[in-house]
Amino acid sequence: MPRMWWVVGVVVLAAIFSAYLGWTAQRVERLHTRARSAERALDAHLLRRAAAAAVVAERRESVELYSAARLALDAEPGERETAENDLTRQLQAVTLDPADPAVRTLAATSRRVVLARQVHTDLVRDALSARRRVFVRLFRLARRYPRPQYFDIVEPSLPALPLARAVPTPASPAEGALPAQAV
Amino acid sequence: MRIGIVSPYSFDVPGGVQNHIMDLSEALLELGHEVSVLAPADDDAGLPEYVVPAGRAVPLPYNGSVARISFGPVSTARVRRWLRRGEFDVLHVHEPFTPSLTFLAVLSARGPVVATFHTAMTRSRALSAAQNFLQPAMEKITARIAVSELARKVQVEHLGGGAVEIPNGVAVRKFASAVPLPGWPGDGGAIGFLGRFTEPRKGFPLLRTAFVSLARERPGLRMLVAGPGDRDELYDDIPKELHDRVEFLGLVSEADKARMLRSVDVYVAPNTGGESFGMILTEAMAAGAAIAASDLDAFRRVLDGGRAGALFPNGDQAALTRLLGELLDDPARRTDLSSCARAAVGAFDWPSVANRVLEVYATAIEATDGRVFDDEWS
Repeated sequence: MPRMWWVVGVVVLAAIFSAYLGWTAQRVERLHTRARSAERALDAHLLRRAAAAAVVAERRESVELYSAARLALDAEPGERETAENDLTRQLQAVTLDPADPAVRTLAATSRRVVLARQVHTDLVRDALSARRRVFVRLFRLARRYPRPQYFDIVEPSLPALPLARAVPTPASPAEGALPAQAV
Repeated sequence: MRIGIVSPYSFDVPGGVQNHIMDLSEALLELGHEVSVLAPADDDAGLPEYVVPAGRAVPLPYNGSVARISFGPVSTARVRRWLRRGEFDVLHVHEPFTPSLTFLAVLSARGPVVATFHTAMTRSRALSAAQNFLQPAMEKITARIAVSELARKVQVEHLGGGAVEIPNGVAVRKFASAVPLPGWPGDGGAIGFLGRFTEPRKGFPLLRTAFVSLARERPGLRMLVAGPGDRDELYDDIPKELHDRVEFLGLVSEADKARMLRSVDVYVAPNTGGESFGMILTEAMAAGAAIAASDLDAFRRVLDGGRAGALFPNGDQAALTRLLGELLDDPARRTDLSSCARAAVGAFDWPSVANRVLEVYATAIEATDGRVFDDEWS
C-alpha cells in the first residue's frame, strides 16, 4: 500500500513544517516586542540624560550646554538623533567636577544611555535579520509589527569618566599630580 | 533583584571563570540582592550556600585547557527546574557558547538574559561556522558583557552584536591584608609564579630558565610556585642543587593564593598567549607585589601600559632574566611599581564591578518587558 505511506509522509512533513512555522512566528514576535521595549527604554534614558545635563548646565551657568540639553528634550522625531549627538559632543567637551552630585547623576545616566543604545542596536539587528528569513517573508509572519528602526547616534560614552579617575590616583604623589590636574 | 547565575565549569576545580562567578555573587549579595548560582557539581561537594549543584561534571578539553562541565538530558531537567523555582528577574550566564549548562540555560530561558564572555579565542572558525545553528540561542541573550577588550572584539567580529566591556573584579581588601607565608620573602629575594606550569601558554619554562641562571649568581634567591600539576614534573627540570630553593605549594585555596602573592618580591607572569585579561595580575597588584610580565596586549592594559608592572618582550628569555635581575637589585623601583599597582587596581575592585554589572541587568530587564527603572541600582 505505497499510497498510504505517501499520505502519512506528507501529513508528518506538514506537521513538522507547521510546528517550525509556529516556532518561527513566536521568535519573530519576541524579537519585535523586545526591540520595541528597548526603544522605549533608550528613549527614557536619553530624556533622563538630557534632564541631568540641564541641571549641570544650570549650575555651571553654561548657556551652550543648557541649550543643547533643551534641544535634545524638545526634539521632533526626525531631529532627535542630531540633537542627541550635539548633546553628547557638548558633554564630551566640558570638564566635569566629580565631587558634584549632579555630575555623578549625569555620569550614571550617560552610562545607562550607552548600555540602552547598545542593547537597542543589537535587538533591532536581530529583529531585522528575522524579518529577512525566507519563510518569514513568504508567510508574512512579521506583517503585524512595524519595522524596527536603528537609532543612529554616535557612541554616547563620556571619555574622562570623573568617577573612575578620581579614585585610583592619590597613592604616589609624584605620579598623582599630573592626572589630578588633567581631570 | 532576584539574580540567577549559571556557571559552565565545576567549582571542584579552581579557575578564572569560577572565581569570577563567586566573587561577583558575593559582591551582589553584599549589595542586598538575592543570588542563586547553578553549577556542575556532585551534590555532596562542600559548596557556598548560594550554589545549586546541577550534577556530576565531566572533564572536557576546551580551548587549550581542560574544563569540567555538565551537559545532557539530566542536566537539562535540572536547569529547567532551577529556572522555574528561581523566578529570577534576570538570568546571567557565563561563556554561553560552551557546550555546557550555560548553553542549556540560554535555550530554556524566557526572561532577560545577560551573557558574559571571558575567553578571547583568536581562531573560532568553528564558532563562525555554527553561527546559523546558534542564532536562536543568540537571540535570547539581551545584553552582553566582555571581560576584556579582546573578548569583546571576538564577540563583535565572530558572533555579531556588541558587548559592554566590564573587566574582572578583584577582592582588593582580601589580597592587601593577607599575611605572608612564614619565612617569606626573606633577604635573598623571592620570585613567584602561579598557574598551570605544565601548560605551554603559561610560559613557565621561560621563568624556570631565568631562575636557574639568576640563582647561580645569587645565593639567597628563592622561587615560590603554586598551581595544579605534579611535583616531580616541576622539579625534574630544575638542577638538583637548586631544589631546596624552589618551594612548590601545589593547588592553593583563594586565601593561600593571597598569602603566596604577599610572600614574593617579584611576581612573574611569563605567559606567551591565550590570556584575555590576566586576572592573576590584578590580584598580584592588590597584594602589592612588584610585577614582571610579558607584553601581551591584555597584560599591558591591566598594568596601565607598564607603569603598574614591568613588561618584557613576549617569549624573550634573555630579556626576562635581565629584567628580573634589575628588579631584584632595585628595591626603590619595586616600591614604585607596587604603589602604582595599588593605585591602578582600585578600578578593578569588586563592588565597583558589581555595580556596573547591575546596570547591565537593569538594561536587559528594561529591554525585555518594557519596565523602565527609576534610579540606579545601588
